[in-house]
Amino acid sequence: MAEYIRFEHICKNFGEKKVLKDIDLGIEKGELVTLLGPSGCGKSTLLRILSGLEDATSGKVYLDGKDITNVAPQNRDIGMVFQHYSLFPNMNVRQNVAFGLKKKGIAKDEIREAVDRMIDIVGLSENADQYPSQLSGGQQQRAALARALVTKPKVLLLDEPLSAIDALLRHSLQVEIRRIQKELNITAVFVTHDQEEAMVMSDRINLMHDGKIEQSARPIDLYTNPQSKFAATFIGHYNVLATEKFVSIMTGQRPVGKDLSRSQTIAFRPEIIGISKSAPANVPADVYLLKGKVSMSLPHGNFLRYNISCGQTQIDVDTLFNRDKLYEDGAEVYLQIPAESCILF
Amino acid sequence: MKKRKGLSTVFIVIVLIWLLVPLLVSLIYSLFENWAGIVPKGFTLQAYASVLTDPQFGKALLDTVLICIVPILLTNVIVLLALFVVTAYFPRLEKYVQIICMVPYTVQGVILSVSILSLYVGGKGFFASRVVMLTGAYCIIILPYVYQGIRNSMRSVNMPMLLDAAQMLGCSRIEAFFKVVVPNIMSGIIVSSLLAVGIIFGDYVLIRNLAGSTVTNLQMYLYQVMKADSRKSSATFILIMLVMFLITTVVLVLKAKNDKGKKER
Amino acid sequence: MKKKRSIYLLALLPFLVLTVMYEIIPLIGVVISSFISDENGAVTAANYGTVFSKLLYQKAMQNSLKISTLSSLAGILIAFLGARSYYEKRGKLGQIFMTILNMVSNFAGIPLAFAYMILLGNAGVMVQLGRKMGIDALANFNLYSSNGMTFMYIYFQIPLATLLLIPAFDGIRKEWQEAALLLGAGKGTFWLKVGIPVLMPSILSTFSVLFANALAAYATAYALMMNMLPLLPIQIAGCFVGDVKMQRGLGGALSVVMMLMMVVMIFITNTISRRFQKGEAVK
Repeated sequence: MAEYIRFEHICKNFGEKKVLKDIDLGIEKGELVTLLGPSGCGKSTLLRILSGLEDATSGKVYLDGKDITNVAPQNRDIGMVFQHYSLFPNMNVRQNVAFGLKKKGIAKDEIREAVDRMIDIVGLSENADQYPSQLSGGQQQRAALARALVTKPKVLLLDEPLSAIDALLRHSLQVEIRRIQKELNITAVFVTHDQEEAMVMSDRINLMHDGKIEQSARPIDLYTNPQSKFAATFIGHYNVLATEKFVSIMTGQRPVGKDLSRSQTIAFRPEIIGISKSAPANVPADVYLLKGKVSMSLPHGNFLRYNISCGQTQIDVDTLFNRDKLYEDGAEVYLQIPAESCILF
Repeated sequence: MKKRKGLSTVFIVIVLIWLLVPLLVSLIYSLFENWAGIVPKGFTLQAYASVLTDPQFGKALLDTVLICIVPILLTNVIVLLALFVVTAYFPRLEKYVQIICMVPYTVQGVILSVSILSLYVGGKGFFASRVVMLTGAYCIIILPYVYQGIRNSMRSVNMPMLLDAAQMLGCSRIEAFFKVVVPNIMSGIIVSSLLAVGIIFGDYVLIRNLAGSTVTNLQMYLYQVMKADSRKSSATFILIMLVMFLITTVVLVLKAKNDKGKKER
Repeated sequence: MKKKRSIYLLALLPFLVLTVMYEIIPLIGVVISSFISDENGAVTAANYGTVFSKLLYQKAMQNSLKISTLSSLAGILIAFLGARSYYEKRGKLGQIFMTILNMVSNFAGIPLAFAYMILLGNAGVMVQLGRKMGIDALANFNLYSSNGMTFMYIYFQIPLATLLLIPAFDGIRKEWQEAALLLGAGKGTFWLKVGIPVLMPSILSTFSVLFANALAAYATAYALMMNMLPLLPIQIAGCFVGDVKMQRGLGGALSVVMMLMMVVMIFITNTISRRFQKGEAVK
């Protein structure tokens, strides 16, 4: 597939501070792509450069084969949903949604029809005549989504649109946005700092860190195969240890298969670790064996997270919640870590 | 705790009496022919009739209204433009605009009026006109209030966000400002404009020093009748206070409405 | 986009024209003219010599300083107690209090002078009442003196100061009071050790507003006293407006002196306030 959006050597400085460092990135048509990263990583700035609300210090932006670097935001044909409170407070939902169409000089009946249809798609038909102050946070963001989509823009940008919404509602809105995006088959760029949200929603995640793209991958690949220490810490809940330390707390034989001496860091997810009270009879040759003490257990609903201390080192282990197999604080346990699930940096 | 609350009540009541007595006494004075003893005698509305039928009063009222329209409109438009440009394009200049806007707050009427007078009075033409001088001075004296009103309401509607949103929907930035931001801060503009009306209505020093006798406002009218007829002037006084109270009431009602709207948001 | 930015400076032009013509140049003009002789147009400091040596102007400065300081002190004290009472009480009475404060906040100048003449002037209602009932304090009240003026000024300081202080009280958290109570501090101790120090910056800045307000008050004094009691603003206006020839130099010098008084007061209150904000004075 051809690239629909292309960032070329994008740099952005705010005074002395380099916020974006030579970003190269392509986005394909019809995809929902996430820019994921901690605050201050430059993800929102990159999005605003695509919208035109911010100018890049250097570099070029292409949309649909055209160089739009110097095109004013109002002429880019891009829709955008902001964090919150971006609805015009003096207009009701219908007027907000109609705003962009009116600006385009479209006939009145046509506007009415398009607005009603879009309000229906986002599920606000009953609130169409209400003002923003009368809507809940979630409803406001639905209206903002309708307002951004009704002009049929080439790209939809979402700048942390769900960050101000409480957890329960956020999950249903994530699914909803994804459904609408697929239904309308629109290209979308979504900015978030929430890795779970990125996992659920995206076709592709671009993990950003310190002004650079750390890794660009499908959600499942990013999860199972992070390519840097940063990716491993930010995605999932990896245990990240210095290899030296890991070797020092290992018990039993050293498994074959992986050469630990050549890497500095080892990372493994908490849910791949086997845990047992007694020493396992015969440990497979490709499994690392550790011995430790339960220092704390944290119920997370369907799974249980144990903090295990192995000497000075803390390791998190996730197990499915099972009433018959609980370990008390202070209990000695053995951990088995399959070598093939470990990632070395 | 209980005792404290009682003390607070007593104190508030004392201050209220202090503040209201001059008003009440003037009101009673204006309604009675004779107040030499403890109890006033001879209820009459004669004083009010003589004020309201005085053509000088009508002229003063008209002048007062007319002289405040131009400065308030002008200052609002000028400050809106300046604050738009400064917040949207040159945030570094905001500091200087703020300083310029707050200077009149400390300089106040006397010095401002004599400095404008001494600069323009000798000349000829448009700028030497008394009405023009007075209009300019009024613009400056209400500047701090208009500036603060507009700036605060711009902050409360999150102007940068609204500008961004409108721009993404096809507006240019200046269009976005007038189409989206201005309608949303209109109530704030009205409140600060009414405060400005109150200030201009209450002005004596600027109009006396700058306009001389070309324009007479209600304050000057009161000063003139004060020297001649104390009953008539007490009626004038009550009428002026009524106008002032009316303005303040509208301001308070609008403000309460604004605050309520914000809380719902 | 980037190139067009400077075009927007044009929208700033009306603002600059207005403020330069009617604020900046006039004020600079006054300062300059204070150094120019009224007789021969030479550059001189003689105007300041006159201001500080002539008895009339010495009296004017003294009176202005005295009335402004006393009325501001009284105003701030009453306002503090009033705002605290409002903070403790709120409710219906609090609402009435707020409304009345807002109502009378524009009550100054000629109308105020008039109301006080009716009330406490030579033939004022209260004075007559005092005579009839034998209350000497009322019967002998002299409004047309610097003490009488101070008393009248306090009136317009109260609503202004209270309205400025009330929002500051919102910064005093009920939790602090509760915490202090649990630590064994009574209400008095709380206000002495926590409340007043926290409020001090607001109190000081309000004080400097009151001072400037009283110092520059013209109409109230003029309506009551004409020129009987020398006061700075009235002397300043007299140099520019009136029957005699305009004395730009002398009037300018008086204006500069008055502005300096305000600046010095702002400087003093800011300095003290900074010490409170750093917490140095709280020990």
